[in-house]
Amino acid sequence: MSVEERVKKIVMQQLKAREDEVTREARFVQDLGAESIDSIELMAAFEADFDIEIPPEEGERVQTVGEAVEYIEKKLKKL
Amino acid sequence: MRICIFEDEGYENLYPLSLTRPVFELKCGQVTLKERILRNFPGVYVSYFLRDYLTPVFSQDKKEVSVNEMEALKNENILFINGRWLLSKGKLNLTGEEEVGICGEETLYLRATTKTIKDCFSLNFREFIDSLKQKLKKKEVKARLVNYPWDLINNNCWALEEDFEFRVKKDVQGKLPSSATIYGEKDRVFIARSATIQPLVLLDSTKGSIYIDEEAIVFAHSHIKGPSYIGKKSQILGANIGEGISIGPTSRVGGEVEETIIHGFTNKAHRGFFGHSYLGEWINIGALCTNSDLKNDYSTVQVYIKGEFKDSEATKVGSFMGDHTKLGIGCLLNTGTIIGVGSNIVTAGKVLPKFIPSFTWYLNGKFYKGYGLKQIIETAKVVMSRRKVAMSSEEVKVLEEAFKITKKEREKLIEKSKR
Repeated sequence: MSVEERVKKIVMQQLKAREDEVTREARFVQDLGAESIDSIELMAAFEADFDIEIPPEEGERVQTVGEAVEYIEKKLKKL
Repeated sequence: MRICIFEDEGYENLYPLSLTRPVFELKCGQVTLKERILRNFPGVYVSYFLRDYLTPVFSQDKKEVSVNEMEALKNENILFINGRWLLSKGKLNLTGEEEVGICGEETLYLRATTKTIKDCFSLNFREFIDSLKQKLKKKEVKARLVNYPWDLINNNCWALEEDFEFRVKKDVQGKLPSSATIYGEKDRVFIARSATIQPLVLLDSTKGSIYIDEEAIVFAHSHIKGPSYIGKKSQILGANIGEGISIGPTSRVGGEVEETIIHGFTNKAHRGFFGHSYLGEWINIGALCTNSDLKNDYSTVQVYIKGEFKDSEATKVGSFMGDHTKLGIGCLLNTGTIIGVGSNIVTAGKVLPKFIPSFTWYLNGKFYKGYGLKQIIETAKVVMSRRKVAMSSEEVKVLEEAFKITKKEREKLIEKSKR
């Protein structure tokens, strides 16, 4: 499974979103209804699934599904 | 002659309460442990020794006192006093024989002359005290020493009564509406002139004194049992205040509380019960949060201290919470729960774990790092500004240091939550 597919699967699970809603452009807060608590749980789910560390200040800058994919791909390249 | 109030290694047992303040700034009764000591020695020069990272905040507004200055100890006879001692009136004299007062394994005080101090002197305070202990003759003393957080609670009724006796003014100076009632001895109730007591308030002094300090407001339908202390500018919001309560300054309390100490600027404004608990500064407790202070099997309560569960040997133990922590609505706290500094708790309806580290987000049964320290400090600044208080850069540094100290225990539980 690609990073994008894995990210979308996590987003669907965490935010209880439908597949067609979870586009690369979808914004976690405005489009997918993430509360502050959901965002924290989402970042922790990315950390656990990809075995990476997301510092809070970097996690805050990740606002969309596409940004999450790009951020995680960059992180994985550095490993 | 000088007195020197010092912290010893016992401060760690008092985490998270002592993470952001010296042990002698903890409260019991109406006052801090430091104030309890100082009022026995009016007009005497004072030195303090405490953890380095706490000194800038502690030294604010105290230009005339010496803090962590070894040189100040060199040329005088000195009475060293353990900052964890709940010193009662007449228990310790400024002058007397050279000796070290001990209570079990603990050092309570050391009285030494200039000569002995010169003989034992070291620039390291701990080594210096150890050297004095070796040299001075020992005297066994019975004392109220604060070893664990619950010791503050267990001594609070006693401390409140002693503090009431210490006060010069002990009567009703403020207005008491005709429908408000003092049930019990009237001379065991003090109401400050600027305090407000609304109608239909019941002040029950049958079991202890009640002290309502300047500008406090007791709203209608509040029931306050003595001994208790309602601090300056605090508000009692129709609450049921059981015995053994110390509140404030500038704190707001509703619901039901008993045998609990609440530092300044903390809000527990809504319904819900807190008993046998100690809440630090700038805490916000959401509506309907409740703590247990007694187990169903009436056995003694275990509390997480220094990385392991310690038997408190007490059956009634509530919760202990560090500064700037926030509890969302409906949190249920187990008997003997410890919640650190700057944590953020949102419950899923289940009883919280018995230990939540400092600067942790506990959400729906899991530990998270949340938005990190920076965001916690930003939120704290907003909270403080609502009460027209600015967080100083020194206070920020204390939180940063507390964050470092608690890193390991926090990361361990966050990692565990990922699995």
